[in-house]
Amino acid sequence: MARTQSSLREANRSRVVDAVKKYGSLTQVELAGATGLSAATVSTIVKELVASEVVEVRNTVRSGRRAQLVTLSHRVGLVAGVVVGYRTMRVALADVAHEVLAEQTLPLPADHRSDTSLDRAALLVVDLLERVGSTLDDLLGIGLGIPAPVHPTTGMISVRGVLRGWDSVQIAQVLEKRLARPVFVDNDANLGALAESTMGVGRPWRDMVYVSVSHGVGAGIVIGGTVHRGVDGTAGEIGHVQVDPAGRICLCGSRGCLNTVVGLPALLEPLQTSHGNLSLRDVVRLAGDDDPGCREIVADAGERVGAVIAALATGLGPQGVVVGGELAETGETFLAPLRAALERRTVLNQAGGPEVVPAALGLRAELVGAVALALQHTDVFERPDRTDEEMAGR
Amino acid sequence: MRPPAPHRTPLLALHEVSKYFGAVEALVGVDLEVHSHEVVALVGDNGAGKSTLAQIVAGVLSPDAGQIEIAGKPVTISSPSAANELGVASVFQDLAVCENLDVTANVFLGREQRNRFGLMHDGAMEVETRRLLERLTVRIPSVRTTLRQLSAGQRQAVAIARTLIGDPRIVVLDEPTAALSVAQTGEVLTHIQRLRDLGLGVILISHNLNDVRAVADRIEVLRHGRNNGSFRATASHESILAAITGAA
Repeated sequence: MARTQSSLREANRSRVVDAVKKYGSLTQVELAGATGLSAATVSTIVKELVASEVVEVRNTVRSGRRAQLVTLSHRVGLVAGVVVGYRTMRVALADVAHEVLAEQTLPLPADHRSDTSLDRAALLVVDLLERVGSTLDDLLGIGLGIPAPVHPTTGMISVRGVLRGWDSVQIAQVLEKRLARPVFVDNDANLGALAESTMGVGRPWRDMVYVSVSHGVGAGIVIGGTVHRGVDGTAGEIGHVQVDPAGRICLCGSRGCLNTVVGLPALLEPLQTSHGNLSLRDVVRLAGDDDPGCREIVADAGERVGAVIAALATGLGPQGVVVGGELAETGETFLAPLRAALERRTVLNQAGGPEVVPAALGLRAELVGAVALALQHTDVFERPDRTDEEMAGR
Repeated sequence: MRPPAPHRTPLLALHEVSKYFGAVEALVGVDLEVHSHEVVALVGDNGAGKSTLAQIVAGVLSPDAGQIEIAGKPVTISSPSAANELGVASVFQDLAVCENLDVTANVFLGREQRNRFGLMHDGAMEVETRRLLERLTVRIPSVRTTLRQLSAGQRQAVAIARTLIGDPRIVVLDEPTAALSVAQTGEVLTHIQRLRDLGLGVILISHNLNDVRAVADRIEVLRHGRNNGSFRATASHESILAAITGAA
């Protein structure tokens, strides 16, 4: 009996914590609604959680009445992760334990401009801070990922033309000016690699490759447990490896890059006659629904990407290849041909070859990586004054 | 330029639809097609006829001339309830939600489920409301929260969830992102993508070209009540703007 009592209390505690995590901040009344627990039970559990410093409670006003706002404890501070893609922006707020407190996705127009998008990124960060009951004062730093190679010293895009409207923009400075907080910029695939190697499926590996396949292809390389960016940040830009010497001219200016063959326009074009206008999401959904045309397109892309990864893996000898991005959401439809292309290379095959696995963090890998990047650059123990203040406030 | 897949019948097709208010030509010979899994945006200046067109589709106004087909069959949409029966659901700018009622009551407003004694089936409606919110991935803590306590974005989400009652095929959204914060805009745009993924045809009316180009598959420009161009979502901001202002 006592045993069931305590396990019930444990289950209720985790229900409360899960609800607070899901919504960022809730009043105790809302918490009762969200968990289905009684107000008295919620009140007791919240008191316990405050004592064990899992959550914080502050006074607020809801519909004219005083209420107790419950948030996860973030005494030390928060970091933001922002990943700007071709058609979506993802923003997350996390505490120093990498625990994501709030997250928001914003669909973006094609060829979005750097000024509009960075402005919206800044507003989203502030909105999310508000959602978890914090202000900019609590923010320690921002990690920002973009789908283009970033020069490690200048922080600007190192290859002109690949991300229209973002060339020659001091990306970090633009955002720093808005938020008055340090901003760290990196390539999105590098962030995916960072996340998967520290928190995802690549944890046991010292050397690995993360491949992201969505609107374009990119890879992040991890050597000896750290992300290898190359002298000008272009390491892993497999989207610009030549696969068709007679092919089309790529946005970067070269001919027949992998992106001209498996980039989104190239994937959708052959489906135009049979399927009409599709989006990337449609192709992924239809491939999952066993649509033969879409499966064919996805499988062929897997093979083309696999051939380039095979060359990269022959040069690097990684223990594993982690595949992320939208196309990886189709599972084995994409992964099996990619894996087969690797196995076809005798050198890789006889040495055992790298394991090919989907990203454990899925589409969130790069966002988790952006948070990790911000945390890497932030010394969280350097602000003892803040904790003192909070202690005094209690 | 844009060959629509020939074998697909549009969910909704308007042919040569006109509407006059006295001497005002609100719509003159307007064509519009919406397919399943498609978000069609209607853009245009103030008074271009966007809302008039939406109200015709929603059964609020009836056209003076022209034909409306739903799934290939000619129909007359004589009233909003007729529109509902034909599978057209709408959310207008004012949302028409009741602030003093909770989420469930708002979702089922006017269409409450009753048991055999004529009493309201609260439990079943709550379960259904939760299911609808889940399908749209709406984050609202409790279906018993009154609307007054929700943010503008969450209210919009409730209004969108309400359209899903009765399994519609077409959803009309009039300025769903007006007066929302960026985070709330993100939520609403994500809901619109969900509606599309569920196989619905969505008509999205908005002033904000950024939002429109983010989620629409096709952008139809209206100018002085006439069609003035049809664009793919990848079309440039400038070319759409030119069609709206008549510079093109």
